[in-house]
Amino acid sequence: MGAKNKSPILALGLAALIAGCGRLSNVAKEPDHDITNARTEAMPDSKPDNPVHAIMMPHDEPMFPPGPGRQEFVTECVVCHSPRYVTMQPRFSRATWLGEVNKMKNVYGAHVSEEQVQKITDYLVSINGQLDTGQAPKGTYGE
Amino acid sequence: MNRRGFLQLISATAAAALTASCNRINSVAGTSPGPARLVRFPEKTEMILLTDRPPQLETPLHYFRQDLTPNEAFFVRWHLEGIPTSVDLRTFRLNVSGHVRQPLQLSVDELRSQFEPNSIVAVNQCSGNSRSFFEPRVPGGQWKHGAVGNAKWTGVSVKSILDRAQVKSGAVDVAFNGLDAPPLSSVADFVKALSIDHARDGEVMIAYAMNDQALPMVNGFPLRLVVPGWYGTYWVKALSDITVLPRAFSNFWTDKAYRIPKAANGTESPKDLAKDTVPINRFNVRSIFVRPGPDETVHSGIANEIEGVAFDSGHGIRRVEVSTDGGATWADARLDAEIGKYSWRRWRASWTPSSRGQYRLMARATNAIGETQSKQQWNRSGFMWNVIQETDVSVE
Repeated sequence: MGAKNKSPILALGLAALIAGCGRLSNVAKEPDHDITNARTEAMPDSKPDNPVHAIMMPHDEPMFPPGPGRQEFVTECVVCHSPRYVTMQPRFSRATWLGEVNKMKNVYGAHVSEEQVQKITDYLVSINGQLDTGQAPKGTYGE
Repeated sequence: MNRRGFLQLISATAAAALTASCNRINSVAGTSPGPARLVRFPEKTEMILLTDRPPQLETPLHYFRQDLTPNEAFFVRWHLEGIPTSVDLRTFRLNVSGHVRQPLQLSVDELRSQFEPNSIVAVNQCSGNSRSFFEPRVPGGQWKHGAVGNAKWTGVSVKSILDRAQVKSGAVDVAFNGLDAPPLSSVADFVKALSIDHARDGEVMIAYAMNDQALPMVNGFPLRLVVPGWYGTYWVKALSDITVLPRAFSNFWTDKAYRIPKAANGTESPKDLAKDTVPINRFNVRSIFVRPGPDETVHSGIANEIEGVAFDSGHGIRRVEVSTDGGATWADARLDAEIGKYSWRRWRASWTPSSRGQYRLMARATNAIGETQSKQQWNRSGFMWNVIQETDVSVE
């Protein structure tokens, strides 16, 4: 792409991509922002005369509410995967969430301290944990 | 992509982002989600979003009303953040090395032109398909029934490639690696292996086409391993390296992940987790309701068509029974003609409810060696779901 930084429109576009609230979100049910089609048309084709086949991956990540441990979650977890790995889960007990965070640390080698493990677990329980009754509200999350 | 196209893309993106982005992200963690979130990824149609990075996309069930699942609707599941987004066919090579006399570096063109092509229709199903139906719930990709698809795969057998590479005596396993890469050096690269006998059975193949077209990038372009009858974890995407080993293969994704209890049908109790586990392997028998769909109205006094799909690991589906009274009585569904032993088999039944009200429909498949579906099943990883499916229908 030889268009690097030569166009104000391009610069604006890149700025929007970088800005947090400008995450690409190609929700199919919102035809008024038809980013999807624009992207598809702009995609390099895969015809035999074009040996390079390439795509641009969209991002579609949820926002996370404030809370204790949010900073640790955002900096340490989202490095490797979308926060949707959390939001697609049902509400789990603290023990289950702690197990997941420890799996990330011990099995996958996430660079988190023991203190951060506790803070991240606090945060996951606060946004997607079970109620005090110990029962997940059935069918309300991740279904 | 030309410059103009790129600028159009960027300006469209910028406009959308600037005008609307801050308040259009409608999923805020900690709130109840609405209906399934549909998204469109490159080369794909609208699919159910599980995760965007790495992508996990589920097929809407209505696509299973066709024998073959369209490429643009075929489910997507990657493990590692670093998924390939660009492949240059001029430089891409499939490398065959290890315990062989003649290491190979093959371009896709060479695979197409120098080896006998063959095609097979086969189901690919994620190990965790239907995971969200296990009780108690287990962590992992919260799939409903759409992490599965049936496609015609065209390519070359792994046997023919290994024969050209001249496997040395004493080979034990064959490892398969793709272009995806871990985000941290501490995360194990996603590599899977098959025994040398399995790899050379003539059925395991390297596909360069899916339903007679190139594979979508997110489904494994340019090459994908096809392991008929086995769970999708073995179907390595963007396959780039085949390594023949004179010893048993060992890595995280085989030793620790994708393991099932050794007991029948991979079942264990939440209160007494199995100590003996084995790598997940062949599909068990299952069926999936495709119609009536969740939004379909069923009428009393007229014939309503019920349909679904059923499959196993290759013995063949011999019978599907349907109950419309919660399992009290069963009737045989009609089976479509067999497409191939590794294909799914579609089934249909006509149902004329005599009155309005709530009904519980169930479907139960049985294969050629008498294996059928579970009444109860659970394991900690949420694998191999094949409980007899129930679907509640409101008849008007």
